[in-house]
Amino acid sequence: MSTDMTFLMGQYRATFPTDRLYAKNHMWARPRGDVLRFGFAAYAVRLLQDVYFLDWIVEAPTDLRLRQEIGAIESKKAESALVAPLAGRLTVFNDQLMADPSAINVDPYGEGWLFEMRASPDGLLTPEQYLAHLDAVWPVAQKTIKGQLNE
Amino acid sequence: MMTQPVHVILSQGPTLHPQRRALEQQLVAELTNRGSVEILVVPHLYDLPADGPSIAALRQLVGPLVVLAWQYPRAIHWTLDQYGVRGRPGKTGLDPEDSANPAEAGPVDESADEPAGEPADEQPGPITATSAQTPRAAAVPSRPIYSLDLRQHETVHPYLEAIDRIIAMTNLAARLDAAHERFVSPDVHHVDEATKRRWYPVIDFSRCTHCLECIDFCLFGVYGIDESDRVLVELPDLCRKGCPACARVCPEQAIVFPQHKSSAIAGGAFEPGGLKMDLSSLFGAADDLLDAHQVAARERDEHLLLSGQRPAGAALAADQPASDAEPATTRRPARTDVSDASDASDASDTVDVDPLDALIDRLDALDV
Repeated sequence: MSTDMTFLMGQYRATFPTDRLYAKNHMWARPRGDVLRFGFAAYAVRLLQDVYFLDWIVEAPTDLRLRQEIGAIESKKAESALVAPLAGRLTVFNDQLMADPSAINVDPYGEGWLFEMRASPDGLLTPEQYLAHLDAVWPVAQKTIKGQLNE
Repeated sequence: MMTQPVHVILSQGPTLHPQRRALEQQLVAELTNRGSVEILVVPHLYDLPADGPSIAALRQLVGPLVVLAWQYPRAIHWTLDQYGVRGRPGKTGLDPEDSANPAEAGPVDESADEPAGEPADEQPGPITATSAQTPRAAAVPSRPIYSLDLRQHETVHPYLEAIDRIIAMTNLAARLDAAHERFVSPDVHHVDEATKRRWYPVIDFSRCTHCLECIDFCLFGVYGIDESDRVLVELPDLCRKGCPACARVCPEQAIVFPQHKSSAIAGGAFEPGGLKMDLSSLFGAADDLLDAHQVAARERDEHLLLSGQRPAGAALAADQPASDAEPATTRRPARTDVSDASDASDASDTVDVDPLDALIDRLDALDV
């Protein structure tokens, strides 16, 4: 793998391979033939921590709007809806994760991939642009987290 | 009279949450110390294939059932009923409405005056692979089914206490004084069956009036009627994953989607005056302008479009498509006059609203 870029989340060093693109909802996207394969970037995995349950509320293949709700995730630290990173056609989900989603934690950039879409990569970020995006959102995230911790 | 054990069914959760798994294991361990139970462990109840070994094992069971599962008791009961595993809801003492007087746990009310535990009354449901199509006219056995929601308590003790009360009542009722001698070493039967996530409606027949609104509303062919014009979930797997729209139009709140995030749709509390709107991010803040029927029509349109069909708009009956429906190529639901506000929220989607930042809002704690 090419040299990774890193982003410091507190003491935690999140790494981002430079061989792929990134979406603003903290998913990576890597072209495979005529589809893009998506997974969680290290930033998201760090916030989620251990993933216990992954559920999709749409069935592949299906057409998606940008930010359409497509599923839900439960982890040690969070529960959240999951949304489409791009508009396009979702072709397949990673079925391996349905019985055991732990690959999301063990190998987020490989076996822990989430789904594949046939979509235009317009709107995705280069690793450099994504890190700039993290620079912008991380202070807000920290404030939110600390605000909750102080409650 | 043949003596019968109390069958305890543990339906495993679909999540790998370690606390949930630990609770399941501890329950099985504790229950094996009880004399008069037989334990059947199956995968997540709702996801079981109707023709698989778990359902086959469940249909074999005769007599009272205690079912522990990760969904609302009402959803447990009617999921089983749809599989042909039938009985009458038993009071567990853990139901919210029972909490005032948990000591009243025991056999179902209706059967209180009957000679309790007569084996003739306790035939299991019809044992066929197509029981989802079995007419409701088939008599529901009077045996009690006690449904316990494992999400309700974090420790095993409330469940064990409830099960002990049920065992005591059952033994009394069936005059099974010798039960403890017969079942000194209970069986734990574990059905290890691969399941896939399913999504389908479950009908609460204690509320259903067979008005057939759901048949008129659902355009995917999920519902059917039997020869007595009573509704049934005829083809559950035609249901569109994630679509709960028929539950919103049911005037009796008799349709349950056990996996839905809204408790009123998942079989939890009833909403006085009908279901409220879903304020999920799916439709954004504009939702508080929509009543349940409008939300339902939009949800149905979304799923019609996803399946390549024309949206039907707000018309509730299949044969009355809205005349202002837009072509499916727009990949948008048919617009009703209240949808403009949600278009505005779509526009705001182009602004930097970060879904994962919204996730952070829900974090309990994060050790950064």
